[in-house]
Amino acid sequence: MEKQLSNKFYEAMKKLEPRYPNKKALILPALHEAQKEWGWLPKEVLAEIGEYIGVHAAQIREVASFYTMYNLNPVGKNHLRICTNVACCLRGADDLMSYAERKLGIKCGETTSDGMFTLSEEECLGACTTAPAMMANDDYVENLDINSLNAYIEKVKNER
Amino acid sequence: MAKCTIDGKEVEFTPGENLIKVAKRAGVDIPVFCYHPGLTVVAQCRMCYVEVEKMPKLQTACSTNAAEGMVVKTTSEAVKKGREGTMEFLLLNHPLDCPICDKAGECDLQDNSFGSGSAYMRHSEERRTYVDVDMGDVIQKNMNRCIHCTRCIRFGDEIAGIHEMVAIKRGNNIDITTIDGKQLQTEYAGNYSDICPTGSLTLKDFRFKKRAWMLKKTDTVCEGCSKGCNMEIQHEGNAIYRCVPRENLEINKYWMCDEGRFNYHYTQDPARILNPVQKVGAAWSKITWDQGLSALKSETNAVNTLFLLGTDLTLEEMSAIRETVTRNHKNAKLLSFGTHGVETSAQDKSQDQILKMKSKTSNLMGAEKLGIEALQGKAKADVVVVFRGGRAQLPAIESKKTIGVGVFLEKEVTSFDVILPGLAFTEKDGTVINHQGKEQRLKRAVLPREKCKAIPEVLMLLLNQKTREVLA
Amino acid sequence: MSANSQTLFVQHFGKDSNRTLDYFLKNMNGYEQAKKTLTNLTPDQVIEEVKKANIRGRGGAGFPMGMKWSFIPKNSEKPKYLVCNADESEPGTCKDRQIMRYTPHVLIEGLIIGSYAIGCHHAYVYIRGEYVREAELLNAAIDEAYANGYLGKNIMGSTYTLDITVHRGAGAYICGEETGLLNSLEGKRGEPRVKPPFPAISGAFACPTAVNNVESIANVPHIMRMGGEEFAKLGKIDKSGGTRLISLSGHVSTPGVYEMQAGSMTLRQIIDEFGGGILNGKKLKAVIPGGSSSPVLTADEIDVVYDVEPLMKIGTMMGSAAIMVINEDTDMVKLLLRISKFYAHESCGQCTPCREGCHWMESILHKIIHGEAKSTDIDLLVDVAGNIGGKTLCALGDAAAMPVQSFVKKFRPEFEAYLKGQKRHG
Repeated sequence: MEKQLSNKFYEAMKKLEPRYPNKKALILPALHEAQKEWGWLPKEVLAEIGEYIGVHAAQIREVASFYTMYNLNPVGKNHLRICTNVACCLRGADDLMSYAERKLGIKCGETTSDGMFTLSEEECLGACTTAPAMMANDDYVENLDINSLNAYIEKVKNER
Repeated sequence: MAKCTIDGKEVEFTPGENLIKVAKRAGVDIPVFCYHPGLTVVAQCRMCYVEVEKMPKLQTACSTNAAEGMVVKTTSEAVKKGREGTMEFLLLNHPLDCPICDKAGECDLQDNSFGSGSAYMRHSEERRTYVDVDMGDVIQKNMNRCIHCTRCIRFGDEIAGIHEMVAIKRGNNIDITTIDGKQLQTEYAGNYSDICPTGSLTLKDFRFKKRAWMLKKTDTVCEGCSKGCNMEIQHEGNAIYRCVPRENLEINKYWMCDEGRFNYHYTQDPARILNPVQKVGAAWSKITWDQGLSALKSETNAVNTLFLLGTDLTLEEMSAIRETVTRNHKNAKLLSFGTHGVETSAQDKSQDQILKMKSKTSNLMGAEKLGIEALQGKAKADVVVVFRGGRAQLPAIESKKTIGVGVFLEKEVTSFDVILPGLAFTEKDGTVINHQGKEQRLKRAVLPREKCKAIPEVLMLLLNQKTREVLA
Repeated sequence: MSANSQTLFVQHFGKDSNRTLDYFLKNMNGYEQAKKTLTNLTPDQVIEEVKKANIRGRGGAGFPMGMKWSFIPKNSEKPKYLVCNADESEPGTCKDRQIMRYTPHVLIEGLIIGSYAIGCHHAYVYIRGEYVREAELLNAAIDEAYANGYLGKNIMGSTYTLDITVHRGAGAYICGEETGLLNSLEGKRGEPRVKPPFPAISGAFACPTAVNNVESIANVPHIMRMGGEEFAKLGKIDKSGGTRLISLSGHVSTPGVYEMQAGSMTLRQIIDEFGGGILNGKKLKAVIPGGSSSPVLTADEIDVVYDVEPLMKIGTMMGSAAIMVINEDTDMVKLLLRISKFYAHESCGQCTPCREGCHWMESILHKIIHGEAKSTDIDLLVDVAGNIGGKTLCALGDAAAMPVQSFVKKFRPEFEAYLKGQKRHG
């Protein structure tokens, strides 16, 4: 099978190997690194990670599917994850979610047809004192309101 | 010895024993789902609650080791309520399709529901459903019936050595499955069905064939290899429906391989020769036992006769054959055959580091104990007589006449001249010695079919025929 | 009270420039305690000092930290591990994030001292996956520490060696549970383990392991600097030394992460003095005092000293010191549904009551809100919670059951209003 993961991936793993007593502990770091490369984790990539770690491909899938941050399906270029947990909810997260759905023309859990945005609901992000918050790809956007959410989406659209 | 009290009864225990084992000795059965004595303890199903004095919460008996002076209650109100709660949770999403489920009658979910559950249902939510994947030839999957005990996952990981059954996703959505409809790879897949406490994993081979409660059970030993896995034959109306492993901690623990489990099928194969037959041209023609015995007698009086004895025979059969040959055929040779390339016990090693041995017959050790040497290479003689239990691999034979006594399928004996049909391991009693040197008993589960006869009987008739002639 | 209160952390929060090694050395006596410990103290002396400090774990369970360390077997041949729990995932909690963002070196120094105390040579920081930037900042600080001889071989001229690895989670609340965390560190699903064995005997990679919260470990340099007894005196209540970082969120005027001497304020004082009262002058309805799993308090129950035991006495808990303030306009039934949905979503699914029960509770609440429930469903809900609480393999079951039981107990009329059709989801 053709290699799906780059040398960069394998170099990063090589560097991490001595930091754990066994290779299996590298499963989570490997999934993160692979997702960085692919944006999501196709089956073939999971299988290759299994091969690298030395475990059955099913075991990689079993682990990956446990954690919500590993995308087992493709996501948009901008993954907006709006926290709707208690603290954010008390500060109007539900309104933000409905606004985002209207603004992007998709339902929570969907991706825009141009592949620009995926909208998800997120459980507590640990940004409760700056609620409501969302995670936009790897960054937090905090103290959100409809204006700032709108401004954020516009900004990203214009960066296209 | 250390002691604890279970339901008022004082019980002795060895340190490290959990409360399920200790309670069992006190005659107290604690209901379980995820616990299996051959697998790691995970305490996930929360069925085996017990109350332990000085502990505020209910404890799971599987994960609680007995301790000196421990006082355990297994029938208190708190325990009953706890178990009833667990049963209710487990049935929230179970389809309750017992009438069409093969597990019914031997289902832990049924039994524990009867024992610990409530007769009333308090939920009205829609049930969780799954689309099942095909997992290969051995196991039929029905995820809707699954109660997430994870025994199958642990069996794959810990016993079969392959992490192919996995839990995908988490929480209420967990799917326990192979990935992407992959077929099970392990050669021990049948065990998945044995250990599944519901009808989620059933045997395709047994599917819709028989209700579990109609089956009669006979304890015996598998003849599939020299391991000697303890096994139960389940049968009804002189037909075998299923074989399952029996616990023997020194040999197979709780498991058996698929090869051994399904091996019995050849005994019911339509191509099995069940009547004395003789080759006429290219076809078999039925003869009487008398004719068959006469043929055997007259041929074996030839100068150069080789008797071959399968290492799939019992010790009793082997002794009788050896006795007959040494007394009546002084010039004949007697050699054993069984597995190509594994002629002696020294060559018999573990095949997969699990259960399977390289010797594919059950009694290589027995033949050696009786001092019967193994055939090396081709069997060459004017006349070759093959005694076989049904499983020993037939050697290449170069002879003028070949006579088979025992169990043969038509396609195996195209070069033979006469067959005298014998009994398969499911049809006879006897002793076999496994690779460790342990003597174990085979037990008859079903009666001999058609005109098949036991080897000792054949030898006796042969002797009688001789005696009759001498007297005449 | 708060004005005179001594704080150890918050004065360093808020400015990006504070996270550098330079700032740490100049303004926080950086790495002096690590140096002193490695050159002058025995591991036992460190543990003794931490015991004297009376510091309770800051992660939620409140277990005395010195005691936890003393459980690590001294003569075990196996490697020992110190694992820092930076999973911070109990809804409402966001204090550890501030420590990692603004004072990462104090955490590193705490890890050096703690590792030395339990005989560990490789410490792990398990950080929740969403904290991508915090993990980067922490890694940058660790690199800085390596480059300056505070980590690696022969730290600060001593014979002691320590490596620190940051291990990222990937979105699972349950990995805040220490054995779930350890499984996740080992590359497995973050499912909690059966105990015993406890991590102190068989933890990470089946070796003796201490798992401590970020704030707990970050307090260690302060304990060593002040001396255990002085540190303990910061606490104004028995059995609780030091200061507490509080995440104050919800309907207060000025939400934020605040710090107080343990046991020095009541819940009301925290809301008024730190939080500036209720947002927009509304009336207070309820308070969730210790993360979303803690039993809710009504507005009349908040004159309680904010610490472990006083809260326990009134039937709730301090947890991770995450206070969520709820105003009069809030629909408690909907809020409970939100909480229940969270626990159902985060249930790992391995044990029956949690896997099935959390989802069932969510369904019942959904039915109540949508006018589809039967009159008996409120009692059913409470009974289901009772069949989960205290019956699960880990504490998630309790965490899911407690809000349900307390919300129904304290706000039952709101639930009944839905059943009577006086309220309807709109």
